[in-house]
Amino acid sequence: MKSNIIKSAIAALAFGLMFTSFAGCTRKPGNVDSNAVVGITQEPGIFDPHTVVAAGDREIIFNVYEGLYKYDSKGNLNPCLATDVAISDDASVYTFTIREGVKFHDGSDFDAADVVYSLKRAAGLLEGQDGVALVGELDSIKDVKATDDGKVEVTLEAGNTELLSYFTTGIIPENYDNCQTAPVGTGPFKFESYNPGQSVILVKNDNYWQKGLPYLDKVTFKVCADMDAGLTELATGSIDIFPYLTTDRANQLDKNKYNILSNGSNMVQIFALNNAVEPLNDLKVRQAINYAISRKDVISVTMDGAGVELTTAMSPAMGSYYDTSLDGTFNQDIEKAKALLAEAGYENGFNITCTVPSSYLIHVNTAVELASELKAVGINMEIKQVDWATWLDTVYTGRQYETTVIALTSDYAPYDVLERYQSASSGNFINYKNDKVDELMAKIPTISDTKQKTELYHQVLKLLTDDACSVYLQDPATITAVSTRLEGYNVYPMYVQDMSQVKPVTK
Amino acid sequence: MQGKTGYFVGKLIELVVTLFLVSLLVFIAFSIIPGDTARVMLGPDATEAQVNLLRQQLGLDKPLVVRYFTWLFGILTFNPGTSYAYNMSVGELIAQRLPVTLGMSVFAMLMVIAISYPLAVLSARKPGRLGDQICSVIGHVLFAIPPYVASLLMILLASSMFRLITVGTYVKPSDDFLAYVVCLLLPSFAVALPKIAMSFKFLRSSIIEQRASDYVRTSKSHGLSDLKILIRHVLPNSNVSSITIISIILSDILGGSLIVEQVFNLPGLGRLLLAAISRRDFPLLSGIVFYLAFITVLLYFLSDIAAAITDPRIRLK
Repeated sequence: MKSNIIKSAIAALAFGLMFTSFAGCTRKPGNVDSNAVVGITQEPGIFDPHTVVAAGDREIIFNVYEGLYKYDSKGNLNPCLATDVAISDDASVYTFTIREGVKFHDGSDFDAADVVYSLKRAAGLLEGQDGVALVGELDSIKDVKATDDGKVEVTLEAGNTELLSYFTTGIIPENYDNCQTAPVGTGPFKFESYNPGQSVILVKNDNYWQKGLPYLDKVTFKVCADMDAGLTELATGSIDIFPYLTTDRANQLDKNKYNILSNGSNMVQIFALNNAVEPLNDLKVRQAINYAISRKDVISVTMDGAGVELTTAMSPAMGSYYDTSLDGTFNQDIEKAKALLAEAGYENGFNITCTVPSSYLIHVNTAVELASELKAVGINMEIKQVDWATWLDTVYTGRQYETTVIALTSDYAPYDVLERYQSASSGNFINYKNDKVDELMAKIPTISDTKQKTELYHQVLKLLTDDACSVYLQDPATITAVSTRLEGYNVYPMYVQDMSQVKPVTK
Repeated sequence: MQGKTGYFVGKLIELVVTLFLVSLLVFIAFSIIPGDTARVMLGPDATEAQVNLLRQQLGLDKPLVVRYFTWLFGILTFNPGTSYAYNMSVGELIAQRLPVTLGMSVFAMLMVIAISYPLAVLSARKPGRLGDQICSVIGHVLFAIPPYVASLLMILLASSMFRLITVGTYVKPSDDFLAYVVCLLLPSFAVALPKIAMSFKFLRSSIIEQRASDYVRTSKSHGLSDLKILIRHVLPNSNVSSITIISIILSDILGGSLIVEQVFNLPGLGRLLLAAISRRDFPLLSGIVFYLAFITVLLYFLSDIAAAITDPRIRLK
């Protein structure tokens, strides 16, 4: 830990010097460079639109594949390869009108047959797939067929009003099965090459159906060893766009050379408490921990204040689905926390372990801050850093842990955010169990009235907060540095690097 | 003659045993540490069914022991297997990265020799003089700078102050050899610095020691010039010990390159190694470790032979 701090300090010092002392122009002035390099710190791996799950992969291929619907930077779900959808009253049949005049990157025409093939493939309905859905959420699709008038009809096993957001899944040419090595989609950029450990290169799709887009000729996603290595490259000009910065690093950048963009990330940073282990199975203990924590301090320590306090499982970025009445439920109250601990029989506190993924500096820093705050109520928290693979295995899937700090990401869909709190969900790594929540979550997909649905979501959120199922900390801002030679970059409230609107500044 | 054959056979057996032990160690470490390759590739949001599907596709559903022996058998037939994470042949992946790591090591070694030898000779001519003292002090300082700190300082100086290089740019030798050499110069120098100091220190004291010995006095009384004595007698004698040092330096340099390439963001073996560990890519990791172990053992082997050639007193035994 200590050596880590020293290392960071040295790095910070060196970078600080670098950024403050010299600001020159690295690119030759005069000619407009219509290429862009985006720094990424996660090694990309999967380019198949149906098997891709990791956020780092999804944000790249967002530019290559398109679905029937597509998110914009405000989080709105807009028609894309479909122009319209009609949902039956019981929400068991979705009928999509298919867009005309769209071409795939390989030059072939896009039509209903491609949609049928892609959706069947995603739902595991092709021959030889044995019904194993590649896109888990589309598992409930029973049949996909093209109608005579060129529409596509999707039949579900049971009515589900919450499925539209999953029709963002990529559409590929009929019978195409080579997406991993040679991705073909309809998106604004074509896949050019992947050099393991180095880069993914995309080039402009000249036949893109949205006229005038994209602006750039070439986009390179360049793999950087870590954030500091990426910052060095940013400073020396070999990277133009670098997302997921921490505030302290962003502050060191030269404001004349980079625009620092910040946006709510729709992430939920959680101090997860394993509800199945003692003493965390006691509601009073979980409440006490909630009262012992100052979310404001956590945000100021980890994000320099650039985050939104959370008291429940959803970010306010979700609009009306978020329940504002829960704001301020757990304002820090040390005395109350102590009293609750005493009631639960832990007046002298207890010892507990927090297992955090070492690769995420923000979570490690959060754990350190939490440990120092918990000391005040007599809880002694030991921090155990593990690597990402270990965290996934022991904490997330194995659920062998007491507490952890992590950020939950989701699509811009309330059901996607709350799905994991069902007792049988594979994402329920906090071992939360409340029959009422299970019941509500089963009911929501059958409701089509938005107002009623919103009400049910509010009830779920209220139950999660009442049960103090974990400590919800913050929605940390996504901070991205963009070279001032580029404009039009939008920060999405989800893992997306949309390069279609980015263009060189013309002077 | 028989002694020499025996020596080579012995060394070869040593090599095989070392490599086998190395692979066994990697295997044991892998069976102990937690982590699931398919889960790491897909991330936390993947469903159990998706993870299982990928596991099946990669052959990860077979027990690790079976996978180890498959891999071992592959190595024996010169086929190091396919990386899980990259879906590429391990041999190809290593070959891609080799020019970076090997290039840096070679350049660093050349720098060590080109700088430390002349300096040591000059310093040792008049030990205790101002020049010698300055060299020694600088040597002590350089010796204490770890390569990653030197790298940061060099990036600071070269790329930010003088705009000489762009950090993270790597040019393949096949594309432009000169550019390839240029982009590796600084990182190589960062690796070489402490080793230059080490080699200088060692060679200097070795030369001073040799010069004080009887045969130098005898040569002098025979009327040989200082330069002749140095080249014909002193250096060869100092060399024997410096060859051993150099083989140690070489394996150090290899290790240093793995770290420095991270700082300079160069796509070398070090980064591939880290990626293999963090993604639990067993074939790739064993392939790289196996390869590095092979080079290290080979280096020691070559230095033994070099020492034997320069000094007939050392028998190959």
